[in-house]
Amino acid sequence: MTREARAGWLFTAPVLTIIIAVFVLPTLLAMGIAFTDYSIYALADPGNLHVVGFDNFATLFATPLFWRAIGNTLLFAGLGVPMAIGASLFAALLLNDATVRWKPLWRVALFAPYVTSIVATAVVWRFLFNTRFGLVNQALGVIGVPAIDWLGDPNTSIPAILIFVTWKIFGYNMIVFTAALAAVPQDLMEAARLDGAGPWTRFRHVTLPAIGPTLVLAGMMSVAGFLQIFAEPYVMTLGGPAQSTTTILYFMFEEGFKWWNLGQASAVAFILFLMILAVTLVQTRYARRNEWL
Amino acid sequence: MRSPLAGAGRIRHGRGVTGFDDRSGPTRRAMLAMLPALAVSGCGAAAGVPPLRVWAMSYEGDYSPFLMPDFTAATGIPVDVQSLPTTASHEKLLTAHAGNALPDVLMLFNGWVREFAMIGAVAPVPSPTLVARLFPGVRDPLRIGGIDYAVPWSVAPQVQYFRRDIVGGAGYATPPLDWAGWLRMARAIKRRRPDEYVFLMLLNWPDALLTMMTQAGATMLRDQATRGNFRSDPVRHAFAFYAQLFAEGLAPRALSTEVQDPLAAFAQGYFAIWPSGPTTLLDLRRRAGEIPPNRWSTARLAGPTGPGPVSGDSASLCVATTTTRPAAAWALVRHMTSRASELKFQRMIGNLPARIDAWNAPQLAQPVLAAFREQMADPAPIPPAVEWERIKGEVQLAAERVIRELQTIEQALTALDDRVDRLLAQRRALVAAGKIA
Repeated sequence: MTREARAGWLFTAPVLTIIIAVFVLPTLLAMGIAFTDYSIYALADPGNLHVVGFDNFATLFATPLFWRAIGNTLLFAGLGVPMAIGASLFAALLLNDATVRWKPLWRVALFAPYVTSIVATAVVWRFLFNTRFGLVNQALGVIGVPAIDWLGDPNTSIPAILIFVTWKIFGYNMIVFTAALAAVPQDLMEAARLDGAGPWTRFRHVTLPAIGPTLVLAGMMSVAGFLQIFAEPYVMTLGGPAQSTTTILYFMFEEGFKWWNLGQASAVAFILFLMILAVTLVQTRYARRNEWL
Repeated sequence: MRSPLAGAGRIRHGRGVTGFDDRSGPTRRAMLAMLPALAVSGCGAAAGVPPLRVWAMSYEGDYSPFLMPDFTAATGIPVDVQSLPTTASHEKLLTAHAGNALPDVLMLFNGWVREFAMIGAVAPVPSPTLVARLFPGVRDPLRIGGIDYAVPWSVAPQVQYFRRDIVGGAGYATPPLDWAGWLRMARAIKRRRPDEYVFLMLLNWPDALLTMMTQAGATMLRDQATRGNFRSDPVRHAFAFYAQLFAEGLAPRALSTEVQDPLAAFAQGYFAIWPSGPTTLLDLRRRAGEIPPNRWSTARLAGPTGPGPVSGDSASLCVATTTTRPAAAWALVRHMTSRASELKFQRMIGNLPARIDAWNAPQLAQPVLAAFREQMADPAPIPPAVEWERIKGEVQLAAERVIRELQTIEQALTALDDRVDRLLAQRRALVAAGKIA
């Protein structure tokens, strides 16, 4: 080991120790627990703890709610990622326009939801979505749409939460995209304009390649974020109505912390980990092929 | 009591706290005067005696600080009460036990006592005098294997709160107490008020349905409580009646997250009959401006042929096995469950005393308490499985699927039996091995 390498290890040692102690070790233990029948009975008497191999996974696969939770989560991610990224990109493009005035003000206003407490905003949105008094339904009523039972109908509960989530998080990626858009070469843009490219062609062939890597990164983070969605349904609907907003993480929380079935909950965590890993690998490969990363 | 401090999240009581006058009750000024004392006791410099820690949920948690000055004055031991949100309390308590962080004294809903006794979180009651002279039936769910693990504190059977004007408008002085009559009255109200509802039975709160099932005569678990027993005629009967209330538009298909302010909805006449516990008395008194006392009253819940056993969220006090001061902790439990404290608590939050000798107090002779008094003697039994709390949730989810017309009653009950059998698999194995009863 060279002197430099030694110094490098020395400087990173404190952080590495902490990461191993509070992240790597617990993760490995949790993976171990996934193969035991750890439950409330094991809490009562450690003698009730047994290694059960893949039983937890077999039980999970036979539990309808688990599949329901996977489906709900994929629905959240499938609809939510385009919604959130689209909203962020749209807002960033608007803010990037040279004719927009008071840019800092807009940036702050649009970023504010991201840094506001999720519970407080969820309570406000619950009022907005209220079937009888909610502003959302009143606004829809003006254009003649009949009242929608947003949070009480299993078919509209996920869209309702997605509207809230998009509003809550789009500000973050908006800032990221604003930074990326600032790096789009203006000479290329002007050259394209002189060659007669319209706004869409300029966006497609100049802006998009320039912000591609940022877009992939934001997409990856968003997918990972949506696969772990928990707080929003927990605060807005408690997983209801009829378990239509129970996500994988919510399912895991109920199994693990509410009912102390840590064996099952760890198995869920394991599966969620594999899912996120798979999605990330696919995205990275895709980005590599397009030479963005 | 003039100005109760609503939702006082966390109030510490140090020694020598003044400004609390028992005759006038807690006032906002008294509470404000305590603030500097909080700061001092918060630093632990007030007395040198470390405070006893108490965790309690709901209004019991918010208001039990008012029971503490007397205890502190008599014993010199300060008490630190923390109020837990009810919906998150089960996981918080379990996690605290696993992390060795339970307080000295904790409140448990009666259905949880078996679970917490099994995991060794709560200690047996050391003296029979603590659980003597109680209403029969109140103590039963707290005795496990002949040992008491908790002292009944706050008895909360459900009754029906009803709007006298709306029920009266349909030609009834009080709601009928049998299902057929209840339904007739509800239809009469709905005819007069087609845009409103008659009942509020929140789709994620299981008590209304569980009460119906118990009253219909259902035994929900079989084989020593190791298997679900939901495909039975009493359960079908109760499910059918419950589902009918929603199908006919007599009750809104709503979760607790949707009806954000049930009391306001009750005051506005959104519904006329509200099965609820005694803490609603506190809400009704606090918000008498919205709904004057002459507009509402209480009656026992209707049963198939008349009133019967009712489930509710009665609560008890336990002492953690990990406490370093068991004597002081039990003294505090004795104080909190004393006749005087129970009566004071009843005045504050409505919950009913479990001791028989408290019931001769004049404050309990109010007409609106009569229904509670009768219901007290008839609590619904709690099946002896630690999974029961979870099974309650599954029952309600099955009912929700029926009400939202996702499944028929038969499909839902079949799925429920299957699900409950899976949840009880581990219990079944342990019972078969003779490790638990």
